Amino acid sequence: MIIDDLRTKDMKVICLGSHPGIIQSILDYDFLVKKQQPSIIAIVAGGRKQERYFWGESEVVIPVVSKLENLPEELRTRCAAVLNVQSARRVLSSTKQAIELLPNLRLAAVFAEQTPEIHSIELAKLAKERGLLAIGPSSVGLLLPGFAKLGAIGGTQHLQLSEAGILNDGDTAVVSTSGGIVNELIHTVTGAGLGVSFGLAVGGDRFPMTTPAEAMLLAESDATTKRIVFFGELGGTDEYEIAKLIKEKKLTKEIIAYIAGTVAELFETPPQFGHAKALAQTHDESASAKKQALKDAGVVVCETFADVAGVLKERVNGKREVTKATIGSRQKSLIISHVSGDVSGDVHILGKELLRTVEENSIASMTLSMLLGKPVTSPKAIEFTDYVLRLLVDHGPYVSGAVNTIVSARAGKDLVSSLASGLLTIGPRFGGAINAASGNWLEGATSGKSPREFVEAYGGIIPGIGHKKYRIDLPDPRVKALLEFAGNSNGDTYLTFARGVEKVTTSKKGNLILNVDGAIAAVLLDILESEMGYSRDELKELVEIEFFNALFVLARSVGFTAHYLDQRRHDEGLLRLSPNEIRYIGE
Amino acid sequence: MPRRKLSEYRSKKLVNDVLGLAYEGWSVTSPEEAAEIKGHDRYVVKVDQAVKGRFKKGLVLLDVEQAGLSLAVEKLEERGYSSFLVEPQVVHEQSSERYFAMTHDRAGIHVSCSEKGGINIEQDADSIKNYTVSDATDWSELAERTGFTQESLRALVQLFKDDFFVFLEINPYIASGDNVAILDCAIEVDDAAAYFVNGWNETDIRNPRMAAKREEEEEVKRLDANSPASFNLSVLNPDGSVFLLLSGGGASVVIADEVHNLGLGKELANYGEYSGNPNTEETFLYTSQVMKLMLASKAKNKVLFVGGAVANFTDIANTFAGIIQALDVYGDELAKQGVKIYVRRGGPRQEIGLAKIEASLKEHGLFGGVYSPKTSIPEALHTALKGLK
Repeated sequence: MIIDDLRTKDMKVICLGSHPGIIQSILDYDFLVKKQQPSIIAIVAGGRKQERYFWGESEVVIPVVSKLENLPEELRTRCAAVLNVQSARRVLSSTKQAIELLPNLRLAAVFAEQTPEIHSIELAKLAKERGLLAIGPSSVGLLLPGFAKLGAIGGTQHLQLSEAGILNDGDTAVVSTSGGIVNELIHTVTGAGLGVSFGLAVGGDRFPMTTPAEAMLLAESDATTKRIVFFGELGGTDEYEIAKLIKEKKLTKEIIAYIAGTVAELFETPPQFGHAKALAQTHDESASAKKQALKDAGVVVCETFADVAGVLKERVNGKREVTKATIGSRQKSLIISHVSGDVSGDVHILGKELLRTVEENSIASMTLSMLLGKPVTSPKAIEFTDYVLRLLVDHGPYVSGAVNTIVSARAGKDLVSSLASGLLTIGPRFGGAINAASGNWLEGATSGKSPREFVEAYGGIIPGIGHKKYRIDLPDPRVKALLEFAGNSNGDTYLTFARGVEKVTTSKKGNLILNVDGAIAAVLLDILESEMGYSRDELKELVEIEFFNALFVLARSVGFTAHYLDQRRHDEGLLRLSPNEIRYIGE
Repeated sequence: MPRRKLSEYRSKKLVNDVLGLAYEGWSVTSPEEAAEIKGHDRYVVKVDQAVKGRFKKGLVLLDVEQAGLSLAVEKLEERGYSSFLVEPQVVHEQSSERYFAMTHDRAGIHVSCSEKGGINIEQDADSIKNYTVSDATDWSELAERTGFTQESLRALVQLFKDDFFVFLEINPYIASGDNVAILDCAIEVDDAAAYFVNGWNETDIRNPRMAAKREEEEEVKRLDANSPASFNLSVLNPDGSVFLLLSGGGASVVIADEVHNLGLGKELANYGEYSGNPNTEETFLYTSQVMKLMLASKAKNKVLFVGGAVANFTDIANTFAGIIQALDVYGDELAKQGVKIYVRRGGPRQEIGLAKIEASLKEHGLFGGVYSPKTSIPEALHTALKGLK
């Protein structure tokens, strides 16, 4: 791995876990170095489907998936870097998975502190086998000025970033075991009038995946880098590795080092300092022994932190051109809508001005487009929606929802209350079967199970199957009409599966036929997939957000409203059940 | 912090169990518990708190009778200790004492062994043979060298891996034929792995520092255990004049170093740091502990240095709001003692944080100086400590 391979503005990043402050700072950096798009293409985290960030003064959304394997392959293929901000206990499993599932991964940074040593060792091995640069754990990441910022490194506020002189590169690499100090040193370098070629926080653990010595070799092989500023600490023996490399002439560039922790020699039993490895158990691990070894090898070892700036100032050769860019004031909006909103004072729906949309579309076309959140062009889909909306409009005053609307209307309640009482009845046993059936057909047809296995495993009433009156030998005419819409251009996967289920269930009992709900679900799934190109994941999402029930709710609102108006027109007063309609069984 | 010592009790129990040996020992924390122990004529009572040189310090009591157990523990308790190990006093058959140790690094698990064990093993360093465990390990040779059976050796390696040890030392032990006895052993574990292990837990961890901790240190330990951010605090010289309120693992060591470089190491009252973007309340609690220590110090001229590098993600305004809250509580008392406070810090929202703390320090009459990253850490520190040299 060489640093120069990573100096590209196209490196796409997936964030494992979400750390809004860090993610925003990466996007701010991307914007400040004038990338066309944010480098972060996805976040793997639970709880939501997207996260919103500023992009300059505007806003963008970044997709969120709960598991890396759920991310579309196209995104996985584009990903070249991961930033792991998950907790230490997940570091091993999630980083390993990223290495397995991301074929073009070249860079990984791990942020968490308290990762077990052997987990880091295992990951380091894996990374070497795959030839990727793995940084951390407990690292704030890698900064490639002008190109990429992977992690908190450089700061998390856009003002910090735009004022630090790190939007274009320079000739001094910064390598540090400490996250705070890497930033301090970056400021020291740019403050002295030099630029940073790259900044790397190797992390304060005992077995970092990229060791300080390996980081030095990265700098050595990097043509942009002329010298290296290094911050090390007591504990561990990394500095001896560096001294050895210098003696073997494998490291020839100038190194300016500060090794912290001489203060530990004051104590009889030295305290554990802030970082995991910062405990000197032997004399070799003490700061002064390591300083001496580096000095002997020819490293410029600074006795106080102030000397670092002094030495760097001596290396300045002419005034450095500093790229400048800023981000102005910005404010997060409360809500994002993909359906409609004002565009210069006019209401727009799905990208078009309202009146134009109205003139160009039928109610079915507008309804389906708005429910799906994007304009629908498939005539078949629109025709089917129109048919279903009409078909579901009412099923007589007997059904629970209509009864509740009627009871409310006769109790003198207003239109909205009566309609709401009907709508609130819609659920798992009434009207909610289309969505449940969609979920089943989707699950069944994509699981590879046969309809028989599906039925056997299901147990209980299958939504979309069964009718009171109609039987296999007395078919439901509405189902027949719905099935007219089958025969989609790319096949009828879901209807085929649903019919397969029907075959099994009707062999058990004649009335366990595919009913209206089951048929609508199957045909609609097929139209969405076959005619409109919906992926399985997208269909799954439609089931999760209850899209399939929306058609029922809309259509049946007409029926409930009609029943309300009907009752009010012919007002019979309060409806009350008589004692013979309710039997009291006391003790 | 990651590499930590297990108690002698837990270490011996784990090793004996895996070797299929019976171990008799009692981990006790009070004289009452010790009084319950029965079944032997003579006992050894010792402090089990990772203290080095226990014999020299008189922290191992030999030849204790059952009736004297409670008193023995009481004696050790009086010296400020709280964890003890009681074992039956057993005379081992005279046999050569051996040494066995394991460590790990990137290359894998390393085994060292010697037939000349005991406390003077370091003087017999030439007798130590080293092996690295791999597929090619010659277990029969290792068995011959150590006196452990091949199964025992494999079991020890497995234990080392399963329980995330970083160091295991069995020294000395006796192994001649069937006569195997572990006389002493020590284990260090990777405490980051606590979530993954069954063999030990937090209660088995022993800190090498002296038993008697200050209330302020204990308070910070509790704070650290209950927060996603990290906090630590060690009192070095309770009557020191230089107090540090630092942020960041690296910067805190740099700043402590600079105090040492200035020849004021002996005046350093505390080391500690907070990091990982603690919230205002947590920073208030942490700062309160440092200020309490400061008020208690008998030094004449006292200085508090609030410092850190340029933070990457710790919010300066929020954390400083916590420090300001603590100033509102302890500020006037500190001012009565003539304390001066200096600040040097950078990071997210530093303008707000620095401006507010400057105002607060002036209001309480504690103002020494407030510096942004334009002033280097050493410069700011030199100004702060000028009066003490």
